[in-house]
Amino acid sequence: MRQILLVRFGEVFLKGQNRPFFMRKLIDHIRFAIREVGGNVWLSEGRIYVSDFSDLDECIRRVTKVFGVHSVSPAIEMPKDDFEAICAQAAEMMRPLSGTFKVLARRSDKRYPMDSPAIMREAGGYILEHVPHLSVDVNHPDHEMMIEIRDHAYLSVERIPAVCGMPMGTNGKACLLLSGGIDSPVAGFMIAKRGVELCCVHYHSFPYTSERAKEKVLELARLVSEYCGRMRVHVVPFTEIQLQIHEKCPENFTTLIMRRYMMRIAQIIAEREGAQALITGESVGQVASQTMEALGCTDEVVSMPVFRPCIGMDKSEIIERAEQIGTFETSSLPYEDCCTVFTPKHPATHPRKELIRKAEKALDSEALIAAALEGVEVIEVG
Amino acid sequence: MIYLDNSATTRPFDSVIDSMSLCMRENYYNASAAYKPALDVERAMNACRQAIITQAGAKREDEVIFTAGGTESDNLAILGAAATMRTSANFLVSSIEHPAVAETMARVERMGFEVRLMPINARGMIDLDACEKLMDEYTAFVSCMQVSNETGAIQPVAQLSAMARAKNKNVLVHVDGVQGFMRVPMNMSRMGVDLYAVSGHKIHGPKGVGALVVRKGVRLVPQMIGGGQERNLRSGTYNTPAILGLHKAVEEMAARQDRAQQLLALKQRLWAKLSVLDGVRVNGPAPDEADSAPHILSVSFDGVRGEVMRNALEGEWILVSTGSACSSHKQKVSASLRAMGLTDTQADGTIRISLGLMNTEEEMDAAAEKMEKLFMLLRQYRRR
Repeated sequence: MRQILLVRFGEVFLKGQNRPFFMRKLIDHIRFAIREVGGNVWLSEGRIYVSDFSDLDECIRRVTKVFGVHSVSPAIEMPKDDFEAICAQAAEMMRPLSGTFKVLARRSDKRYPMDSPAIMREAGGYILEHVPHLSVDVNHPDHEMMIEIRDHAYLSVERIPAVCGMPMGTNGKACLLLSGGIDSPVAGFMIAKRGVELCCVHYHSFPYTSERAKEKVLELARLVSEYCGRMRVHVVPFTEIQLQIHEKCPENFTTLIMRRYMMRIAQIIAEREGAQALITGESVGQVASQTMEALGCTDEVVSMPVFRPCIGMDKSEIIERAEQIGTFETSSLPYEDCCTVFTPKHPATHPRKELIRKAEKALDSEALIAAALEGVEVIEVG
Repeated sequence: MIYLDNSATTRPFDSVIDSMSLCMRENYYNASAAYKPALDVERAMNACRQAIITQAGAKREDEVIFTAGGTESDNLAILGAAATMRTSANFLVSSIEHPAVAETMARVERMGFEVRLMPINARGMIDLDACEKLMDEYTAFVSCMQVSNETGAIQPVAQLSAMARAKNKNVLVHVDGVQGFMRVPMNMSRMGVDLYAVSGHKIHGPKGVGALVVRKGVRLVPQMIGGGQERNLRSGTYNTPAILGLHKAVEEMAARQDRAQQLLALKQRLWAKLSVLDGVRVNGPAPDEADSAPHILSVSFDGVRGEVMRNALEGEWILVSTGSACSSHKQKVSASLRAMGLTDTQADGTIRISLGLMNTEEEMDAAAEKMEKLFMLLRQYRRR
């Protein structure tokens, strides 16, 4: 008899011929996630099991963060031949609980002498007899004791929901523009959840932003990597571009032109990383650079698709999501990610593309971008 | 690396590190134990008390209570005294105190006492005339820092104490000496100070240790309950390595009799080079005035945000802080600087340079040169 973890997967089971590919990815990611708590991950009859780990709670915490996992249940694996022992174990597991219960049974080993209804009936009766403070409710029970008869018997009560989504790396790769704010880590998480591998770009404006601001961004990247695994953060020196824009372009366009440069550079880095799309944390109308017209202006300079999963979310919804995934606290640290020297007093909210294009002509784009790329620092997190 | 943030913390003297390491390696005994090796440690600790008494200008019979640092010393002084008083008493506190005092006073206010804020003038000094009007016979506790951690202004503690005592002879005068101890003279007896808080790590000693010097006869209620150490005023096993390290720091500082002069000379040398620049101003008393502490210089660079200047200096391996390190995380405009009449932009453009005994003249020259260079560069980019 031993403690194991039963892992249920979500959408992967919808897959047809390439299902083995998705399963293999999922198992690899679970293995990677629990590497520090040890444990074996194995597949049996379409189920994933984790066994021989050193710390159950930590193992659960990690496995429930793996994209593609729908829920987990701590379970007891025991020999299936002694049905009396199975019933006793089930009663033992039910004893600390209170309220109503029912027993569910599944029998994939069809040679087993009892069928599923018989297992439910017998085990239910046994529990009722030995744990008198529980009662049966087959329609809306507080607890469900699941007994599965396969190569062994597997008993579980608790079901812990996991992050769902698709296994990482089954849907290509995208490049996240990561600021120090609340929105971009959420955006990255949401796309990564669909199985998309991530890399990040961060724009650093030393001395207008501090070492600590950069450290905060790396910590955010690390928090996101708890879900999506190791990734690379490209820290781009951005001061010179900001200074040039500040000096040579009309004040009300400066933020937008800055955004356009960020997108251009991100696309180049994405191409180098083999990524096929960009991700930003923008939400329509949130700030001047996120109005419909402004988004049009920033999209114009790149050819890759730009994913903005927060686009229809209110700030409060984004914050709620950030709290759920655990990035909100770090995002709320006070270190600025943008210096007020460069924020215009009256940014254009309905910019016209042709005016922006014209304003940008004052800059030597190619040289600025080349110099910024020259100074990129690549940091691996996770 | 040029370290100019000594008001945040200082680099310990090597001899401090050695004495701490020796204490941990060999004299690790619990100073309260009954055997002789423990007694030796206790004796060494008592020598530290004596050294602090001497340096604080206290009397032999006054008490030194070891704490975990300046913050705890301030807490014990204020909360410990408040617990002995009736709520008809009022407390006076300067408006530029460190949070260790200001936030504790907020607690005192919630306990039901009236807390009155002493205003400061444009030089960053408490306004004695205004203070006198705030005092009455129910003024039971007056708290004022010895040296402002933001501007280095030496506060007129003796006058304040005399003034308060004239209204109520039983008043307790508390001085947060964290930025002043051993760099600016203190004589508790002559200056009428009842409670004096000091910290180890600001005088090239270890972090996590400090002391509260308590004039004999002042009653405090302990804020840390337990095994009854420090005559029951501060329970908890003695942090002997830190206390012995603190002793060594006090000794080393005391051995350098010209220490204040040395720091002041460095500060004046630096200011002489900065003051000629157009758009640079000093906050608080000027470095050649008597009420300017020898080691703290608050400078505003017109049109350059302090934070940007600090970051840029860091890029040149020069470490300073904006405003005071304790408030720089919160990134709001310093209340002290605003109280001194600086505009938001001026206050926002302020850095604090603070010196220690390990700084050199060459460092001052190099720092001044870099500051000038960066100021000229950064001032070109203003918010339009």
